[in-house]
Amino acid sequence: MDLPFFITQFISGLTMATLLFLVASGLTLIFGVGQVFNFAHGSFYMIGAYLGYQVVSVWGVNFWFGLLLAALGAGICGMLAESLFLRRIYGRSSEGGFQILLTYCLILIIDDLVKLVWGAEYKSLPRPDGFVGPAIIGDLYIPSYNLLIIAIGLVLVVGAWWILKYTRPGRIARASAVDREMLGVLGVNVPLTMTMVFGIATALGGMAGALAAPLRTVTPGAGIEVIIDSLIVVVLGGMGNFWGAWLGALLIGEVNAFAVAFVPKWASLFSFLVMVIVLIFKPEGLFAPRKIRKV
Amino acid sequence: MQKKIVTLLLLTIVAFVLAPMAALSADKVIKIGAMYPMTGRAGLYGKDSVAAAEMAIDEINGKGGVNGYKIEAYFTDSKAKPAYAVRVAKRYITDEEVDFLFGVVSSGVGLAVTEVSAQNKVIFVGTDHASTRLTVDNFQPYYFRVSNNTFQSMAAGALYLKELKKTRPWSTIAFIGPDYAYGHSQWDEVKYNLDRYGVEYKVVGEYWPKIFAPDYTPFITSLLKDKPDVLISGFWGGDTVAFIKQAQAYGIFNKTLYFHPDAGGNYELMSAMGDELPSGLILSARHHNNWPATELNRNFVQEFKRRTGRYPTYAAEGAYAGIYVIAQAVEKVGNPDDTEALIKAMEGMKIKLPEDPDGFTSYIRPETHQIVQSQAIGTVVKNSDFPPATRMLGDWKVYPGEDLIPPVEYINNKRKQ
Repeated sequence: MDLPFFITQFISGLTMATLLFLVASGLTLIFGVGQVFNFAHGSFYMIGAYLGYQVVSVWGVNFWFGLLLAALGAGICGMLAESLFLRRIYGRSSEGGFQILLTYCLILIIDDLVKLVWGAEYKSLPRPDGFVGPAIIGDLYIPSYNLLIIAIGLVLVVGAWWILKYTRPGRIARASAVDREMLGVLGVNVPLTMTMVFGIATALGGMAGALAAPLRTVTPGAGIEVIIDSLIVVVLGGMGNFWGAWLGALLIGEVNAFAVAFVPKWASLFSFLVMVIVLIFKPEGLFAPRKIRKV
Repeated sequence: MQKKIVTLLLLTIVAFVLAPMAALSADKVIKIGAMYPMTGRAGLYGKDSVAAAEMAIDEINGKGGVNGYKIEAYFTDSKAKPAYAVRVAKRYITDEEVDFLFGVVSSGVGLAVTEVSAQNKVIFVGTDHASTRLTVDNFQPYYFRVSNNTFQSMAAGALYLKELKKTRPWSTIAFIGPDYAYGHSQWDEVKYNLDRYGVEYKVVGEYWPKIFAPDYTPFITSLLKDKPDVLISGFWGGDTVAFIKQAQAYGIFNKTLYFHPDAGGNYELMSAMGDELPSGLILSARHHNNWPATELNRNFVQEFKRRTGRYPTYAAEGAYAGIYVIAQAVEKVGNPDDTEALIKAMEGMKIKLPEDPDGFTSYIRPETHQIVQSQAIGTVVKNSDFPPATRMLGDWKVYPGEDLIPPVEYINNKRKQ
């Protein structure tokens, strides 16, 4: 295989991985902190895509403002959903049925709301100025917008990681994953922390939606399309593990890209194959958080 | 006192329940049980189908109905799930005692509902789903389809590609389409028809993304490496939008001819993409808002716009046609109860529909119960007559229905398998 093709294929895998990770990182954050598997997380991605559409295609304002509003809007919707509904099922992961039912209902409700506001027609928004054409580097032919997605994704990943690792709110969020009661005793406003975590997670999802919108179709039901792949990524990386999700996304993106190149007929099988193999040998995922025993 | 109130309440409820029944039994009614998806990506087609079916029903009932019968339709969300649609269809038959089953967008749902129709001997009028299997491999006498199937579209596509050789010599093709019955039938049928018309070609790539997959970039980069002269696409709906947007950024349309003959030219693509839709793509669909330029088609499109505030996607015309086919059959038989006579009336039925160009009338082929219609293939050109679209199809090439239907030996072979 020649090198330019390898690089082109690698970058197309990386684009997919970045968008996947932006959705999956929020999903894994919510799971890590609240022990809730939020099936409706994809719906915040969809809300972000529609807000981007509203700003760019309806109001005619620029793309960057669309991105910002998408993140803000999805974050606020996420916080609302958390404080109205999801707050009631924290820590009840043993009763998985509850979580699936509640979050699945949320998907249906959000889908219908989106249809009420924007209609069932497919929407599309153009790429931002300056990122319409391809970047041509020697023999390489790569859409500049894909490079932008990868760059923004990188900044967000490092930023989110830094916040979690080095700031006080980040430390509190991580601590609440371990022992919420103790955190409360120490005087931290735990419910508020959870709401904030939810807001950040859904804002990341919303941003992914708006970033993906110039490439994909903005449509009711877009949320369900991304949630399955994100679920695979989160399970691969180990539920609740931030870097695990990143590695999982990278693995799925690249396996998919090269499977398409070499065995196109069976390509869609490979992401599931990877998941099966990982689950057989490491059922807790590649980077499962260490089990902490309560004394 | 309390007892009196309870009795009164009960009586009121009974009156409410019985009143509509009484009204119904006095009227003569043709009952149609329709199923369309209202959610997800196919929801747009469901909504448009319902609106167009209601439009046809209003038109017919407004003129006094058919032989004194009014048409009445039930609409239920099929959820695009075969098992669920089967339950709805059975309920329609047992509880509502419908005379016709109607609708469905997904071929998977269509294949499931056709079994219910056969078992219960209730006619199923298919309006949107396009898998040829319903009229060929899995054919049963109670099934009728009133829009073209993929075989017809692909036969038109093969004829187009044959002619194209004269003006733009090509030799290699690649295919990309969704990995389920619909996509696979298209690929088999286009190859069959290219062979049938003696067109030489070499396949350099074949790609099967999942349906509704949001990301096609790895497929596009692989296609760039294959360098096909013609890329045949079998996507529909939002998948087409996503694929074209992603492919465009790689400049693929400058090097390869994008050819999408069954559902590529659907109006929702033009309305979603506006200026972003590249000119020169070669597309078709089972109904077009700007072709044929007949009065019937113009009226259909404008009336739909008046009622809904938007221009129809291709699915609407199928549902509209389905109601008129039922009306014409009942008119001939005189009542909606004699199913066998209705089948006879529908076999070979000729009916002028919005998508018929001058000089052609749609008819239902008795061997397959499949409607035979012309197909027009066009090129993306600038046209702002149907906003929000700013591009529509033009430079039409038209293929009469007779040239597009599968030969009898093809049908017999498939049915034997």
